[in-house]
Amino acid sequence: MRLIWKLLRKHISIFELSVFFVANLIGMVVILGGIQIYSDLKPLVAGDNALVGNDYVVISKPVKRLNSKTVFSAEEIEELKSQPFTLRLGEFTPAMYKVYGGIDIAGQRFSTYMFFEAIPNDFIDVKSKEWKFDKSKHRVPIIIPRNYLNLYNFGFSQTSDQLPQITESMMKDLELDLTLGGGDKSIKFKGRVVGFTDRLNTILVPQKFIDWSNKRLAKDETAEISRLILEVENPSDPKLLDYFHDHGYVPEGKPAESNKALFLLKVGSGVIVGVGLIFSILSLIILTLSIYLLLQKNIDKLRTLIQIGYRPTVVATPYNIIAVILNASIMVISIWILSHVRVLYIDYLAEAAGREIEGGMTLTIAAGVALMIAMIMFNIYIIRRKVTQISRMK
Amino acid sequence: MSTIRLNNVIPEIFAHNTDVNSDVWRKEISLEQGKKYLIEAASGTGKSSLCSYIYGLRSDYQGQILFDGQDVSKFSINKWCDIRQSTISILFQDLRLFGELTAMENVQIKHRLHKLHNNKVIKGWFDQLGIADKMDTRIDHMSYGQQQRVALIRSLCQPFEFLILDEPISHLDDYNSDVMRDILLCEVERQGAGLIITSIGKHMNIEYDKILSL
Repeated sequence: MRLIWKLLRKHISIFELSVFFVANLIGMVVILGGIQIYSDLKPLVAGDNALVGNDYVVISKPVKRLNSKTVFSAEEIEELKSQPFTLRLGEFTPAMYKVYGGIDIAGQRFSTYMFFEAIPNDFIDVKSKEWKFDKSKHRVPIIIPRNYLNLYNFGFSQTSDQLPQITESMMKDLELDLTLGGGDKSIKFKGRVVGFTDRLNTILVPQKFIDWSNKRLAKDETAEISRLILEVENPSDPKLLDYFHDHGYVPEGKPAESNKALFLLKVGSGVIVGVGLIFSILSLIILTLSIYLLLQKNIDKLRTLIQIGYRPTVVATPYNIIAVILNASIMVISIWILSHVRVLYIDYLAEAAGREIEGGMTLTIAAGVALMIAMIMFNIYIIRRKVTQISRMK
Repeated sequence: MSTIRLNNVIPEIFAHNTDVNSDVWRKEISLEQGKKYLIEAASGTGKSSLCSYIYGLRSDYQGQILFDGQDVSKFSINKWCDIRQSTISILFQDLRLFGELTAMENVQIKHRLHKLHNNKVIKGWFDQLGIADKMDTRIDHMSYGQQQRVALIRSLCQPFEFLILDEPISHLDDYNSDVMRDILLCEVERQGAGLIITSIGKHMNIEYDKILSL
C-alpha cells in the first residue's frame, strides 16, 4: 500500500480538501446545532410536563337546562375517533356512586361529598409510581387539579387563622377517609393524593379502580360518558374547531393558541437544519468535484495499476481512506464544538425554564453519525463509479 | 490455462477488408502453454491490438477469443485482474512504467502482489541487465532502453502461464537482447509457460515453435 500511496498522493490538493473540510464542518455544525437546540427546547415546549402548550383537548356538551342529557353516544364517539384531527381519544369514566371524603388539616376536619373520574393512563400528565390500584389494600391513589390546592391555600386558608397553607408535598402526606356508595353496600377506603395535574380539571383515580368499584357499587347503570379527551396535532386547527361548533361540543381548558410555541420551535429549528443541509450539500459537491479531479489527474496511473493486475477496489482504497478520515474528523469536531457551545447556553436555558434541561446530546450524536455514514457511503460510491469507469478504458 | 484460441478474430477497423492476408486474422489458431510463438508484422497491422485483445484491455474485434474454451468477452473486470495477476503477464510496447517511482519500486509494485521471487533474484536480474546502479533512480530519469529492461523484470515478477512481450528489444543492442533472452527463457521454462513475442523485424534469437505473420 505504501507504493500505491506514494503513487497516488501526488495531485492531492490540500487547498481543495481544506475548502471541503471547512464548508462541510460549517454545514455539519449548523445541522447538528439545529437538532441540538430542538432537542433541548422541545421538552420545554411539548411533552408530558411542558411549560407551554400541549396537544390535548377535553370536550363536553353544554348544560342547557335542568336534567338535560350531556352524554356522548357510542356513534358520536366513533365519529370523533374517525376524524382526521384525532390522534387518540380517551373517555372520562365517572364513578356511578356517591363519594364522601374527609381529611384532617391541622386538627380541623374537612368533609365533603365529591366525585371520581378516570381516564386511560396514557392521557394523564402526572407520572407516579403509586398510580396503581390493589383492591386488597383498600387504598386508592388520587390525582387532583393543581388549582384545587390553590383554591385551598389562597381561599380557605386566607380567610381562617386556624388553617395553615400547605405545600404539595405536605398534601401528599395527608390521608383521606373515603366512604364509597351509600347504605348497606358502602365501603370504607383510604385515599392519598399522589400528584397534581394542570391538564385535567377533575379528581382522578385509576381506571381499574373505577371499573371495579362501579361494578360493585353502581345501581345497575352502565357508566355514561359525558367528557372526552382528545390528543390532536393542532388544537387550533380550524377544521377541529368547526367540527366542535357544528356538533355542539365545548372544548375546555387551555386556549387554542397553546400550540404556537411548539410550531415556532419546529419552524425555527427546521430552518436551521435546512441551512445546514444546504451547506453540507454544497460541500459535498465540492468534495465530489475534487475527488473527480484528483482521480482524473491520476487517471493514467490508476489505469496502469489496474492493467498490471490491481483490482479497482484496491486502487480505490487510498481515496476511500481520505474520505473516511475527512468525514469522521468533521463529525468529531462538530460534536466537540457543539458540546462547548451547549455549555454556554444550557445554564441560561435552565434558569429561564426554572428547571434542569432533560436529555443530552444523544440525538445529535446519533444524527451526526448517521450523516457521517451517509457522506462516507456517497463518497465511496462516487469513487467506485469513477474507478470502474477508468478500469474499462483501453 | 493451457490454450488461447482465436476463432476468426479481426479488428473491427479491418473488418471491411476482404483481402486480409494473415496467419492470425480471420483464422482459427491455438496458442499452447509451453510453446514459443513469434508474431511478425509490419507496422500498423494490429500487433499491439492483438496483445490488448488477449490481455483484456480492448474488445473492438470480431470473432472469438477463448481461454480453455471460455469466451473472454464475458469476463468481469475482477476476473481480468486475477488473470493479469497470475495467468498472463505482459511487457507493453509502451512499457507503462510509473515515472515518479524508482526502477526498483516499479518492479516491487507488481512483485508485492505475489512475492514470487526473493529480492536476491530480482537484484540479480538488474545486475545481469546492466542496470544495477539504476535501481534507485526514478524511471523518468532513465533512457528508453533502460526502461525496457525494467519493464521486462517487472513482467517476470508474477506467476504466469503465458508471457506476452510486445516488441521487447526495440531499443536494445544485441548484447542486452541476448541477456534478456536468457533471463526470460529461464523464467518461462521454470514456470512452464507459453511465450508470445511480437516483432516488426528485429527479434530475439530463440527457437520458436511457430512463427506467425500478421
